[in-house]
Amino acid sequence: MKPPRFGKIPGVLVAGAGILLLLPLAGLDVFLLDVLTIGFLTAVYAGSWDIVGGLAGQISLGHALFFGTATYSCALLTSLLGWPFPLAAGAALLLSTAAGAAVGTLSAPLKGPFVALLTLALGEAAHEFFLGQTFFSPRGAYSWGGEGGIPVLLGIPWFSPWIAYYAALAFLLLCTWIMLRIARSETGLIWTALSGSELSARASGVDIRRHKRLAFVAAAALAGAAGVGFAACVGRATADDFSLELSFQAATFAAVGGRGTIVGPILAALLFYPLLQGTGIPPAGRVLLYALVLLFTLRFFPAGVAGTLRERARARRMAGRKGDGR
Amino acid sequence: MSDLLLADRITKSFGTNRVLRGVTIGIGRGEVVGLFGPNGSGKTTLANIITGLTRPDKGRILFEGKDVTGMSMDARFRAGIARTFQIPDPYPSLTVVESVRVALLCSEAGRKETEGKGPGFQENLDSLLVRTGLFAQRFWPAAKLSQGCLRRLEFARAISCRPKFILLDEVSSALSARDEAELVALMRSLHREEDISFLLISHNPLILEELCDRVVAIEDGRVFWEGKPGDLAKYVPTSHHAHGDEGGNHEGG
Amino acid sequence: MNPLAQVLVDGIFTGASYALMAAGLALILGVVKVVNLSHGAFFTLGAYVAYVLESRGLGNPLAAVLMAAVIAFAFGVFLCKSFINPVRSHPFSVAVGSLGFAILFEQAAQMLWGPHTLSIDLGAPVAVVDGVTLRRWGVISFLVSLGLLGGLSLLLSRPWGLPLKLIAEDEEIAGSVGMDVEKIRYLTFGAASSVAAIAGALLAPAATITPTMGRVPLILSLIVVIASGMEKVWNIFFLAVGLGLLSNVSAYLFAPHWSYVLLLAVICLLLVFRPKGLAAAGPARDY
Repeated sequence: MKPPRFGKIPGVLVAGAGILLLLPLAGLDVFLLDVLTIGFLTAVYAGSWDIVGGLAGQISLGHALFFGTATYSCALLTSLLGWPFPLAAGAALLLSTAAGAAVGTLSAPLKGPFVALLTLALGEAAHEFFLGQTFFSPRGAYSWGGEGGIPVLLGIPWFSPWIAYYAALAFLLLCTWIMLRIARSETGLIWTALSGSELSARASGVDIRRHKRLAFVAAAALAGAAGVGFAACVGRATADDFSLELSFQAATFAAVGGRGTIVGPILAALLFYPLLQGTGIPPAGRVLLYALVLLFTLRFFPAGVAGTLRERARARRMAGRKGDGR
Repeated sequence: MSDLLLADRITKSFGTNRVLRGVTIGIGRGEVVGLFGPNGSGKTTLANIITGLTRPDKGRILFEGKDVTGMSMDARFRAGIARTFQIPDPYPSLTVVESVRVALLCSEAGRKETEGKGPGFQENLDSLLVRTGLFAQRFWPAAKLSQGCLRRLEFARAISCRPKFILLDEVSSALSARDEAELVALMRSLHREEDISFLLISHNPLILEELCDRVVAIEDGRVFWEGKPGDLAKYVPTSHHAHGDEGGNHEGG
Repeated sequence: MNPLAQVLVDGIFTGASYALMAAGLALILGVVKVVNLSHGAFFTLGAYVAYVLESRGLGNPLAAVLMAAVIAFAFGVFLCKSFINPVRSHPFSVAVGSLGFAILFEQAAQMLWGPHTLSIDLGAPVAVVDGVTLRRWGVISFLVSLGLLGGLSLLLSRPWGLPLKLIAEDEEIAGSVGMDVEKIRYLTFGAASSVAAIAGALLAPAATITPTMGRVPLILSLIVVIASGMEKVWNIFFLAVGLGLLSNVSAYLFAPHWSYVLLLAVICLLLVFRPKGLAAAGPARDY
């Protein structure tokens, strides 16, 4: 019998994907196309947070570390060392996964709020470091780095916003599928268990440190993939890719969408990101709105939107099954 | 000695509080041993040390002749040392069948028998649920179970690793008479059919008298009496009868 | 002139105010039993209050302290009542929510006063000893911090402080002997927040005022609280002064942003190498 938790891919997702597929044909301008493209990548990033923060219950407040590692690797390897982009992308993925392994190893013995503190501190340290770190371009005397950023050399002349849009959409669908597979797998079940009760998980033979590490590795790899996509689409890596605000954004999408549901955080990112980005609210106002929405959700819908819906559905199922219980 | 499990001269302090002062206790194959003691006598700490939740300051734990003192709790579970908790802590977002599935997935026994998770795994899972009387409630959220069913879920989890030894921490506290009788029957059938050894921790001498082959009583971190369960009543000061529960699964200071 | 000696003296003055803030965080951890990541925002609030007063021509440090304390107390009680207290049993909601409040405040400050750094008048030198200038802000912040910490230490050692200690030990017992645990939680959170704002107002003249200025003292306070505990007020004081010195000296020797990196490194090392000690200092064991 299949576990009923992630039973089927919701029809909403399929319908949404169809609409997004056709949207550019309806005559979107390039600005909106760009916003949606980045929105898809942000959705993958939000989903990757949910792997470690929702499914495995490790509150990561330094998720931007993995994203930034990937964008910076892409930028430095292509611009500074002159690597071709695909090679740099592969290396960036490896590096962000390694960062995940390192953070996971360090935080595995810790619990709850202390995981949050450690990841927050690691992310902030990386941000502060790269904010002050400048690199000299191989030709010319100007320096790169910090908030100005480093260019990413894509080296693909036929790259256009339309191609980026469809590539990002395909990437989102692929990653959503992968993440749902992870959530439904035996490993995903074990992660859900350990996020619920570490004590019971240990008494059930779960090697919790190994699994926490594994969750960080998987999440970092996915966040890194989103970072590579971001670097390719934006063409620049800045210190902001490591910022606390970006880490916080991931946790916000997850909290609003519903922690541990994968689909919830992805949909929340798909909805909120373009909405706020496309309407010309200044950056400070955007983050402010995120924070407000977050506080409201945490206070009144602690399980998030998708989580609340799932709880309702389960309650209904329970009521239906009352007859054969006890 | 042919003990299945031996806790050898265990010492443990929390800060300045010396909880265990050299406790030695052995459990033979197929034996049911009771561990009796008043609140704060160090029973739960000893249980945590035997199952690997807490490290002893001094002393060692031998299981089937091997030193398992440095082994983590989950590794001990996979090796065949299972336990239940005084206060069950169910996974809040999993159903009953999923909760048992986790334990089965992580135990060597479950893995070996079900290479490639064929039908063998499912049969195994179902038989565990049937055996512990949880089959009808298998799709319930574990957190919504009654106390009695939660204890049974603890049993199902514990026996999923095909253990040779199970430690039961306060089997019967906070249970109705009917639930208690059912759990005792379940324990007996496990003992009879699978030859599992048990260590029963309780502050209730009646339960121990009924179920055990031998009883060890500890007080102030030392073994102060050991003998036949029938003689327990003679040695137990009356003040030790019918106390409330101990603090919980973790032993504090 | 002796620049390093100046840095050391200023470090001690700064550290004393950080101690005040850390003591507030420790109180929240002990009594409300949450790790409050919004504590730094109240520090920032205090600094901006001092700035606004100064820009209106009311450059009196004590007035700033008083006003910051009142505003932050009201904010703190509001935050605890409306958000922290209802969600306090969910570690995720507390961590992300309190960080969310801090970020909310940072962004609001950025919208109100802009992202650029502001500064206020350092005040006249009070005395010059051996080429080391003792400025007004330093003397005031040191004395006020010492006074408030002494008051806290006294409170915890006297019968009036008993409710706080009892709630920190065991809430159920505190509730069962008729204490209004929730009210004490609100008041503690408010008082701790106002203490953080006082620290911010005291240090405003010496600091560069930016929306994110609260992050450094937050990390510093977290280190102090993790390494110390709630009741040992003087441990908190010496630890905070030590870290204040460390951060000032590293800012002087390298660059300002390195003091933050150094503090972050310290907290990481502390968390990684002392997870056992934390479990004892941390809130409830069931996390």
